[in-house]
Amino acid sequence: MKLSTKSRNALEGMLYIAVYGENRLVNTREIAAKLKISPTYMEQIFYSLKKSGLVTTVRGSKGGFALGLDDEKITVGMIIRAIDGSMVPVKCVKNIASCKSQVRSNCLSRNVWVKITHAILEVADKLTLKDLKDKYLAERGVS
Amino acid sequence: MKISTKGRYGLRALIDLGIHCEKGCVSLSDIAQRQDLSLNYLENIFSNLKRAELVIGIAGAQGGYVLAKSPENIALEEILSALEGDMSVYDTAGEQTELGDFLNRNVWDVIDAKVDNILKNTTLQDLLNSIQHKNASADCSKL
Repeated sequence: MKLSTKSRNALEGMLYIAVYGENRLVNTREIAAKLKISPTYMEQIFYSLKKSGLVTTVRGSKGGFALGLDDEKITVGMIIRAIDGSMVPVKCVKNIASCKSQVRSNCLSRNVWVKITHAILEVADKLTLKDLKDKYLAERGVS
Repeated sequence: MKISTKGRYGLRALIDLGIHCEKGCVSLSDIAQRQDLSLNYLENIFSNLKRAELVIGIAGAQGGYVLAKSPENIALEEILSALEGDMSVYDTAGEQTELGDFLNRNVWDVIDAKVDNILKNTTLQDLLNSIQHKNASADCSKL
């Protein structure tokens, strides 16, 4: 039931900006280097994040990225959805009509997927970038 | 973050077996018909379930399958483990970074633990019980 590597890299990139980009713009090369991914791949990720309004960009040689919203308003769930579209382990959780089975109105198993989805969203939709930034800094002994 | 068809179809098939096996063993072709599933694929699924010692095959003309243990002794975790394998939302392939490692511990492991909690604490009997309740309310709606 794997989350895409892309969405995990996106969260890492966003956390990087939250921690190191509070008062300055962070450029793509810097983030790519820290995340140990190719700059092109990183640009794809940040393009999706920008489209969702989660980051803003300033162009030019001194340009870069900044968070598009306050870090306490950005949840893990928002970031994953910006990259992957949705966070459900089975499509029918979001939309029963997406199920092509003849017996979908009497489905024996959908409830299980709904329960699992709730467990995932309970974490992902509550955890903010601010929570993670604060924890990260606390772990490294910086206040 | 998708559950495979093996996991989805297999769970439905096993719940169907749980509902119908009180009167004796259940044939895969009956399950295939009731659940709108391919018989070939069910054979594949049930060889997984047999290997995981969740079902027992009865050979012969009136043959089929029965549960290997009572439904309250079969956890959702065992079922999905047999069908899906690893249910973690992430893997540790690729180069690890400091931020990545922090996120593994504080986000992905947290989600895994929450999902794992549901899987370990839900039994096949719980699923059968919730189906019964659903059917009871469906009857009332016909009045």
